[in-house]
Amino acid sequence: MPPPVFELEDVSYSYERVAALQGISLTIAAGQRVALLGANGSGKSTLLRLLDGLYFAASGTVRFCAGPLTEERFQDETFAFDFRRRVGLVFQNPDVQLFNPTVFDELAFGPLQLRWPPDLIRQRVTRTLDDLNIAHLKDRPPHRLSGGERKRVAIASVLILDPQVLLLDEPTAALDPRSQSQTIDLLAGWKDTGRTVVSATHDLDSVEEIADYCLVFEAGRLVAQGPPAAVLGDDDLLRRTGLLHAHRHAHASGEVHSHPHRHHDHTS
Amino acid sequence: MHIPDGYLSPATCAVLYATSAPFWYVALRRLKRRLATKLIPLLSVFAAFAFVVMMFNLPLPGGTTGHAVGVSISSIVLGPWASILAISIALFIQAVFFGDGGITSLGANCFNMAIAGSLVAYFTYRAVSGKCAIGSRRRVVAAGVAGYLSINVAALLAALEFGIQPLLFRDAAGAPLYAPYPLKIAVPAMMAGHLTVAGIAEMLLAAGLVAWLQHSHPSLLSATAPGAAPPRSRDCEEAVAPVIAWRAIRPLLAGLAALLLFTPLGILAVGSAWGEWSPHDLADQAARRQIAAVSAHRALPPGVPQGLDRLSSIWTAPFPAYAPRFLRNQSFGYFLSAAFGSGLILLAAVALDWVLAARRRSG
Amino acid sequence: MRPNRVIEGSLRSLLGVIERTLESEELARRSGVLQRLDPRVKLLGFLGLIVATAASRRLEVIAAVFALTLVLAMLSQVPLGTLLIRVWAGAFAFTGLIALPALFLTPGRPVARLPLLGWVVTAQGFRGAVYLISRVETTATLSMLLVLCTPWAHVLKALRVLRVPVVLVVTLGMTYRYILLTIAAAEEMFESRRSRMVGRLAAKDGRRLAMATAGVLLSKTMQLSGDVYLAMQSRGFRGEVYVLDEFRMRPGDWGWLALFCALAAAALWMGH
Repeated sequence: MPPPVFELEDVSYSYERVAALQGISLTIAAGQRVALLGANGSGKSTLLRLLDGLYFAASGTVRFCAGPLTEERFQDETFAFDFRRRVGLVFQNPDVQLFNPTVFDELAFGPLQLRWPPDLIRQRVTRTLDDLNIAHLKDRPPHRLSGGERKRVAIASVLILDPQVLLLDEPTAALDPRSQSQTIDLLAGWKDTGRTVVSATHDLDSVEEIADYCLVFEAGRLVAQGPPAAVLGDDDLLRRTGLLHAHRHAHASGEVHSHPHRHHDHTS
Repeated sequence: MHIPDGYLSPATCAVLYATSAPFWYVALRRLKRRLATKLIPLLSVFAAFAFVVMMFNLPLPGGTTGHAVGVSISSIVLGPWASILAISIALFIQAVFFGDGGITSLGANCFNMAIAGSLVAYFTYRAVSGKCAIGSRRRVVAAGVAGYLSINVAALLAALEFGIQPLLFRDAAGAPLYAPYPLKIAVPAMMAGHLTVAGIAEMLLAAGLVAWLQHSHPSLLSATAPGAAPPRSRDCEEAVAPVIAWRAIRPLLAGLAALLLFTPLGILAVGSAWGEWSPHDLADQAARRQIAAVSAHRALPPGVPQGLDRLSSIWTAPFPAYAPRFLRNQSFGYFLSAAFGSGLILLAAVALDWVLAARRRSG
Repeated sequence: MRPNRVIEGSLRSLLGVIERTLESEELARRSGVLQRLDPRVKLLGFLGLIVATAASRRLEVIAAVFALTLVLAMLSQVPLGTLLIRVWAGAFAFTGLIALPALFLTPGRPVARLPLLGWVVTAQGFRGAVYLISRVETTATLSMLLVLCTPWAHVLKALRVLRVPVVLVVTLGMTYRYILLTIAAAEEMFESRRSRMVGRLAAKDGRRLAMATAGVLLSKTMQLSGDVYLAMQSRGFRGEVYVLDEFRMRPGDWGWLALFCALAAAALWMGH
């Protein structure tokens, strides 16, 4: 059993008197690829920020690699730098993450803050740009990037630190289909690399490719967990937690009606 | 109100940069201490907001439209020091990148709008809103007054900077090298536009945004409302006509009255105040000896200096030497002048108070 | 039906900013003389010339600097038409209007008389107006040229040579970036309102629209600041910022720096 990377015990977090997370207990093992499922507002983003040491639990304990994850520990620069290098978070809205004048500067930001030597930084930036096929965007300012390009730059700016744990908040949200599939390919490519990946998503179609285990959230509570096949096959659960929808559509047979479905189920 | 390059002499620009620098330095130090890591994202994003808001065309009563600067709302939400830096940053970008305002005159623009504007807006807002609850109407009025005053103070400073240019900087032939209008033209010209258009635009923006924030994000107003009464308190809603809290400034008024009584002490000083000589003093032999005596016996200029002669006749005070001519007793004259001066100021405050209260009752 | 001034006017200003940005990015990519210079040399050189123009007491010196600026513009493939629209026309109209009364109001030796009104133009008034207009035009052209030929990010990093603290350089960069984002948000709000509008907007409604837009922008602004802060922290930011030094002076750069210094010094001395 691989060592646990994150261990949460009865964790709660409130934001402006609204309980965003209540009584969360879970364990994420090293190398595991986990999907956090739930409708908007179910607490997925809050949990990711807790895991990234940006928010700190009001009650309960959060442990990272068997050590406590608290605000006090981050005062220690050595621990902080180590953590920031090992854990990376890709935010849902790339604009929040692209605050430097050019793509090059954006990628260089993380390493610069971690005080890497300049030559190493330049080298790594070039390599990461090539890895993600965005070398041609090196000197572009963020406002001249398309949605898909912004997402890739945001991911690149986190990947350059070569983190062992990657947290992604809605990685395919608001992307055009081609960018979506490129992103999914990227995430799928991390299978068996030893990287721990936690993705919050409500795009059920891609879950099986990007995760080996699912955690389902509803109104700040963890209501179900299990491998994707089990969770995704439970229509009741999906409907209850707002992950399923029903709208009028046509079947191949020509029949038009509405019933709960997910889009790749149109064989019947 | 953004002063371009070429209107102010390099000397004036240098002086204004030098005057702004300590404010920037203090602001940066204080903010670093208080906000630490949050400083950069907060300032950048707010400066961007101010920049964009400066572009809005605000419809004003009377059918015109005007532009606000946003310095007052910035002060009210962020506090004076952060506002100083945020607005300075927005002005920098406007000047350098968009040519709105000059580079040599950036110090002047920052001093007028970012520094003086922020400080005036903040203290006016605090003074007028007192300890009112965050959601009270009085804060909206306070914001409006703060906006109006801050813009007009900034405009006045700019007018003064313009007005002294032809006085101090002329070429050999006497042509003005920079802004060509003396104070008596520059001040009314600048103030006319700002008292009517720009001031009102700023007032509307500040009052409007504070009202909007009270609805949707009251927590954003809490930074500049320490000790604000809890929302349930009826004190401020039922506040009687006076907008200025007369009760609160009673100690001030008592102090002012005491000072008034002591003004005749000035007569005890021997001779005339150093530097306050009239052409008459410099022409009279006896007076000249006296001046030399208090000036470490330096040689005086022969006769009356040209500039002094020319300028001293520009303005003749109604009460020269602080005593109306008909009064015999000097100390009584002093006292009367002091009372008259303070009375004028108080009268203006009461008038403003009454006007604002009347508008609130009808509005 | 007259278009509504709140929406149209605001949109025009906002879009104008975007246009300026795009145009200057395009010009900064051309391979002219100025584009190839180290940004620090340009910054120092142009600042020297601006100060010299501001300090000059002689019209000939101002004219000479202006001519030099034109030459630099042409060598850098900056179309004079662009300068005309971006700088000259606006500055001339604005400052010309301000300087006009000075022709009559400045005391001095009369040189002309207006036919109908009988107002007297003085020599000093005329000279004063010429000083003002020429100075404004020249300095405005210089600063615009600097920015048109240099990517914004480089202008900011070059400020370090003037001992501007790093925290300000980084803040300026982020501000510029978020100006464009905020403009996009404001634009969207105004355009959506415009598309839903029938008939004219009364002044009161116009005010409410402007306030609501500003209010929404303000709350988005505060939200954004919180999120950006988290994003910065997530990548290791702890309060001190660092930037990568990427400028290297080449021999040609030193030569140009010397040239700029000499020209500025000459202008200062001759204009004294």
